[in-house]
Amino acid sequence: MRDRDWPAGSFAAEFADANALVAAVRSLRARGYSGIETYSPMPLPELDATLRFRKSRLPALVFVGGVAGGAISYFIQWYADVYAYPLNLGGRPVNAVTAFIIPTFEGTILGAALVAFFGLWFVLRLPTYWHSVFDLPGFERATVDRYWVAVSGEDARAGAEVTPNELRALGALRVVVLDGAEDAGAAGGVGLEGAR
Amino acid sequence: MNDRVLLHGNAGDAALTDSLLAPLWRTPSLWWMLFVVSCAGTVLFVFSIYWTIAKGIGTWGNNIPVAWAFAITDFVWWIGIGHAGTFISAFLLLLNQKWRGSVNRVAEAMTIFALVNAAMFPLLHLGRPWFFYWLAPYPATMGVWPNFKSSLPWDVAAVTTYFTVSLLFWYMGLVPDLASARDRAVSRARKLAYGIFALGWRGSGYQWQRYRIAYVLLAALATPLVISVHSVVSLDFAIAQLPGWHSTIFPPYFVVGAIYSGLAMVLMLLIPLRRAFHFEDVITEAHLDRIAKLMLAMGLMLAYSYAMETFMAWYSGDHFERYTYLFSRPFGPYAVLYWIMTALNVLTPNIFWSRRLRRSTPALFIASFGILIGMWLERFAIIVTSLNRDFLPSSWHFYAPSWVDFGLLAGSIGLFGMLFLLFIRYVPTVALSEVKRLRLELANEAAGEVAGA
Amino acid sequence: MTDYAALFTSAQEMDEVSRRSFLKLLGASMALAGVDGCTRMPAEKILQYVEQPPEVTPGVASHYATAFSMDGYATGLVVDSHEGRPTKIEGNPLHPASLGASTAQQQASLLQLYDPDRGRRIVQDGRASSWDAWAAEWTPSVARSRVGSRGEGLHLLLEPTSSPTVASLLDKLRGMYPGMGVYFYSPAGPATMPGGASLAQYDLSAADVIVCFDADPLATGPMSLAYARQFADGRRHPATRMNRLYVAEPAYTCTGMAADDRLRCRPAVVQGLLERVYASVSHGGASGAGAVSSGFGDGADAWLTNVLADIESHRGRVVVIAGDRLGPQGQALAAAINGAIGATGSLVWTTPSPLLGAGDAGSNLAKLKEALDANAVSSLVCIGGNAVYRSPGSLRLGDGIRRVAHSTYVGLHADETSQASHWYVPLAHYLESWGDARAYDGTLSVVQPLVQPLFGARQEVEVLSALAGEAAADPFTVVRSNWQSAGHAASDDAWSEVLRKGVLEGSAYPRGASGRSDSVASAVGRTGGPGLRPVEDHPDGIDVIFAADARVHDGRFSNTAWLQELPDPITKLTWGNAGLLSPATARRLGVATGDVVAIERAGGSMRIPVIVSPGHADNVLALSFGYGRAGAESVARGIGANAYEIWPAVGTFVATDATVRSAGAHRQLAITQSHWSMDARDPAQSLSLAEYQRKTPAPARKRQLSLYQPDAPNGVAAQQWAMTIDLGNCIGCSACVVACQAENNIPVVGPDDVRKSREMHWLRIDRYLDGAENDPAVSLQPMLCQQCEKAPCEYVCPVGAATHSADGLNEMVYNRCVGTRFCSNNCPYKVRRFNWFDYNAELAETERMAKNPDVTVRERGVMEKCTFCVQRIREAEISSQVDGRALRGSEVVTACAQACPTRAIVFGSLTDPGSEVVTSRADARAYQVLEELGTEPRVQYLARIRNARAAEEQA
Repeated sequence: MRDRDWPAGSFAAEFADANALVAAVRSLRARGYSGIETYSPMPLPELDATLRFRKSRLPALVFVGGVAGGAISYFIQWYADVYAYPLNLGGRPVNAVTAFIIPTFEGTILGAALVAFFGLWFVLRLPTYWHSVFDLPGFERATVDRYWVAVSGEDARAGAEVTPNELRALGALRVVVLDGAEDAGAAGGVGLEGAR
Repeated sequence: MNDRVLLHGNAGDAALTDSLLAPLWRTPSLWWMLFVVSCAGTVLFVFSIYWTIAKGIGTWGNNIPVAWAFAITDFVWWIGIGHAGTFISAFLLLLNQKWRGSVNRVAEAMTIFALVNAAMFPLLHLGRPWFFYWLAPYPATMGVWPNFKSSLPWDVAAVTTYFTVSLLFWYMGLVPDLASARDRAVSRARKLAYGIFALGWRGSGYQWQRYRIAYVLLAALATPLVISVHSVVSLDFAIAQLPGWHSTIFPPYFVVGAIYSGLAMVLMLLIPLRRAFHFEDVITEAHLDRIAKLMLAMGLMLAYSYAMETFMAWYSGDHFERYTYLFSRPFGPYAVLYWIMTALNVLTPNIFWSRRLRRSTPALFIASFGILIGMWLERFAIIVTSLNRDFLPSSWHFYAPSWVDFGLLAGSIGLFGMLFLLFIRYVPTVALSEVKRLRLELANEAAGEVAGA
Repeated sequence: MTDYAALFTSAQEMDEVSRRSFLKLLGASMALAGVDGCTRMPAEKILQYVEQPPEVTPGVASHYATAFSMDGYATGLVVDSHEGRPTKIEGNPLHPASLGASTAQQQASLLQLYDPDRGRRIVQDGRASSWDAWAAEWTPSVARSRVGSRGEGLHLLLEPTSSPTVASLLDKLRGMYPGMGVYFYSPAGPATMPGGASLAQYDLSAADVIVCFDADPLATGPMSLAYARQFADGRRHPATRMNRLYVAEPAYTCTGMAADDRLRCRPAVVQGLLERVYASVSHGGASGAGAVSSGFGDGADAWLTNVLADIESHRGRVVVIAGDRLGPQGQALAAAINGAIGATGSLVWTTPSPLLGAGDAGSNLAKLKEALDANAVSSLVCIGGNAVYRSPGSLRLGDGIRRVAHSTYVGLHADETSQASHWYVPLAHYLESWGDARAYDGTLSVVQPLVQPLFGARQEVEVLSALAGEAAADPFTVVRSNWQSAGHAASDDAWSEVLRKGVLEGSAYPRGASGRSDSVASAVGRTGGPGLRPVEDHPDGIDVIFAADARVHDGRFSNTAWLQELPDPITKLTWGNAGLLSPATARRLGVATGDVVAIERAGGSMRIPVIVSPGHADNVLALSFGYGRAGAESVARGIGANAYEIWPAVGTFVATDATVRSAGAHRQLAITQSHWSMDARDPAQSLSLAEYQRKTPAPARKRQLSLYQPDAPNGVAAQQWAMTIDLGNCIGCSACVVACQAENNIPVVGPDDVRKSREMHWLRIDRYLDGAENDPAVSLQPMLCQQCEKAPCEYVCPVGAATHSADGLNEMVYNRCVGTRFCSNNCPYKVRRFNWFDYNAELAETERMAKNPDVTVRERGVMEKCTFCVQRIREAEISSQVDGRALRGSEVVTACAQACPTRAIVFGSLTDPGSEVVTSRADARAYQVLEELGTEPRVQYLARIRNARAAEEQA
């Protein structure tokens, strides 16, 4: 699922290594959890199937970008050398298709590449400089050596008693309440840690 | 098995991250020394540019018939060097070569800085550089447009595209590592700076998954560019009818030479880098070995190209072709340079048949240096020895460079060095996430083997 | 760039220049704005040149006829003038010594007019003075007191002159100073040789065989333009008529390069061969049958055999010409031979020399030298000529003049002679002067000024009048009244007629029979001419031979940058002179091209770099005058070496007593062509007459003229411009090169950039030497933009600055050019030129005035090349539209074609059937250079025919 600012009642758990996280997520899924998201310092293609992402529209967008780029660059050349400013240059044909192919190719690649690059940030809604998970204590290690999983509070099976225990059972170092509200996350976290 | 290790030691991810980010936080005195030298080179570059623009192209050695010489040689040389980056990162990514992870960042950075240099020479080379933008298709009040039958606008398109895509690819690869740097930085300023460029990356599964798609797409787009850019550059010569330029072998021949010189430059940068910052665990002999093997392959292909163009010149039976390839180059006024070029480019890589030499950093470093010189000389041979003796003997004339020509070449190397030093000082030089991923996979492989045993 | 600045600005004068020229430019611009009276038109009524023969291109510029004198002989010119600024010089078609053509020097004399180094003020002993002060010292009432009662203390040194006005002024002076000494001097030419009172003239057009003994009639001498035209007419259509040219000479001349059968030999051998020919023809007919033994080696034998055989078989249609180097005896022998073989009368005749004091030994420089040594000179006036520099170093003329109490030098520049004189008076340029002069054949012309003296200089007539006490005399009045009193063009109408046409019709001298037989007796039997020793005396001794330089002549043009940068016709050397050696002699001396040799003679010594010249005679070192200047001229100073230093004597052009050795030094010479073999590429084709006849009539050309169908985005115009160049008639004189430079505002780059191969000439003359190093085949090829229909330069230009016009011109759009230089790389003919620096930035304002206002002055960083004189084409189009008539292709003449003395260059439209440019392409000799590249040049060449007798016999 697409991670967004988490609703009240969501939980996040920190794991020590990738394999533990993978196992945890798989078993959560097996127990019927659906609102799951991971945070890891490296890509985890193993979980692609488990997390059930929607098929990406990016490749289609990139294709369109390429076609548009090619069309535009051929048009520019045709407009310049055939329509607007035709010249007799060395007796060569005015509409020199073979010559125009090269800039057309470059335009195609450029168009596609620009779409791929900016398209990614668009679908990821980046840049986004604040996100509730950033408030999790110790979350900064999610880009270094720690692996987090979050379970949405709106998830049918999510429950204040059940979920944290399940997560702990799966080997989480710790479990914290993940809350969109500025303070709740930290407070909740402390509360839970204390309860442990 | 042991000699194919891509990652030594078993430090935890945290330790690994810190060791790879270390150059960002501490600066060895060596860095300062090199930085001062390269800044001096940059000053020379700027002064030579000023001199050229203030006085005119006449301050160079160029003449009629040799209207292109040093500057275009430098241009082609730098563009060529700029090929290895995308080759390593994009090509090898598609081929799922795991070892690329430790070296692709450096290679990509090198590409970008080489392109920055390369792009400057054609502009400086213009008789009226202040009108460079006339090569771009824009609705001018004069109502005139560029001529797309000429290969020079192709060149503009190819180089700008290649530069843009390389830059995007490089930056996209950087984002997760910038996030790591953000989260590891101690000073608030650094935290802020890396934070801004990290775009708020948090490494969620969704981000990673989409990111992987986009990254592979970009790689797939960059790969044909690697082939196309130097092919187009070669057309700057091949569409002319000048003997020595007018040849259909040029595009592949140029691409091979480009990757060849690019790999040499990668080695020349990696070897001191891994030494200075103790990256031996991450950039292992296995990496050098693989790059050396690639260079050997490229070198052999280049040797084949040399043989082929000479054979074709003879086989064509054309007097002008034969004169250029069979007399002017091997025995003409620039024969010495031609033979040095041949020796450096054809003989040098053959030392890499030896596994020991493939792993000896001094051998690799010296060989790479020789190959870079050889590839510069190759472009000089193609450009100058073709021009200085063309069709009518009456117009034949010798070409000798001026101090400005040398100033621009040396200065551009200085600028390249300065940019690269700044890069290793402020940007993660190794793709952290990829190395960690590699480490995980290697670990799991090992565990699996253990389990299997 | 800096070196260029040094070339053209003389610092101490700058403020002066800018002030004057600012006013001048202001005047010119106001004239443009229609305000009269601000131009520098002379005050007198000068009349426009209205009778325009078809050769002359009509245009907005006005054309005025005047005359250019060198060594005393006049050549009629027509000068273009824009708003009172002379901008271009052409030959006067009505003048016998021009026939519409012009020489490189005549073309370049325009730049000499604007030379910022010209003298600007009257100087006495280094202090600025005034005309009145000078006149006060030299007016008869004052001068008499110091020159003695009969004036024997007064001596005048003039350049050789044929001016009736000067003659009358001199007579007037003689009236006042009966004892006055008058001398005429110039180093080149036989002006005052004994026997010079009558001159031989030839009609080469009627000759089937021309035999030149060390003579260069086609490119040097007062009649060269006429002779070149006649020679060309004798071979213009080889299918119908083809003359044969024999030359025996020590060093290549233009005539030698054009020869069908050339023999390289030492001067003494030339003399010997001449005598053999005389001996054989004088005994009733040459022994045409069988080989002849000359005693000078096999080559000489073969040559002599062919010459004698041809003389025999072409009796009455053979002309024998002996060069100045052979001296009077040689001339006499040649005259005798011509008499014996029946050339005299029809092909050869004589006329009295138009020069004052011709044949009078009393007017020789030697006599002045005697007077100086005897301290018999109290007052000396030198007008022009710079005799101190141009006389043999051993004469020490400067020292003599320094001893004179009262001396004046009147000259264009403050030079070596002015340094030796008390007074210096700037002399007006001929384009600033009123005067008159006779051509070689006596034809009388008026010299009419186009501008008032730019630097307040004084005209020759003014100076002479002042010496006669009339300092205020008006030159125009003097000339005009003299003509009236002489009965030439007495009426105003007749006078106007002369000014319009540039010649006084019927003023040529009557032809006399060859008048040299008297002296033949004395000549024959003497082995060796003046200074010549029989070869056998010193087989390894080196003969040093002297000649006026092909570019700066005797030094009078050494400050004219166009000529300094003009490649020498033989060696392609610019910016300096060199000693020419044969390969064998060079090897013997251990020197190569560029190595410096030291030459020592009893009279003096010099050091000069050598050029190894294939086809040059062994043991001969050829030097040219005019370099190594020490005057105040900033262009000339320090360029080349001064051959006058070791020149034995006036009138003697061979020194046999010199020792030559390597000096161990080397100089990088500024030579524009570094590779001299065609390397089997054969751009300049040639064939024997027999081969040509086999090919005639020419097979129809495969490809028709392409008019760019179907793809002609700019349309197809009614005219399709094209050019044909007849290599058989190119003698390499290089007039076209300078004409192009003058017409198209082509900048001078200076010696350093020439060494870097950056010369800007749009039109160059390639010179190839192939075959044996001792007897190479010379090929000359004027090479300019070939105006390709499928131009390689065009499609590679990224900004479309090189385009093709509807009338077939390969256009260069300066304003659009960004200077990638790709076009030059892709030009197989390498005729494109690049502005490496801003070559026009350093020009003095006066030099800017020489620019052609119809042609863009190119800025730094842009390409340029031959445009087929597009400005002349458009001008003709406009005028034809104004007249509401169709433009005829033959109306347009390019600058090069107009200047060419042999009419080797033909220009016109391919859509103009029957025009010469069209018919010439049907000739079997017609071909395109590098045709295999498919560039389809609009310039075609006619292969040269080598009409050697040997080839004929093989056929």
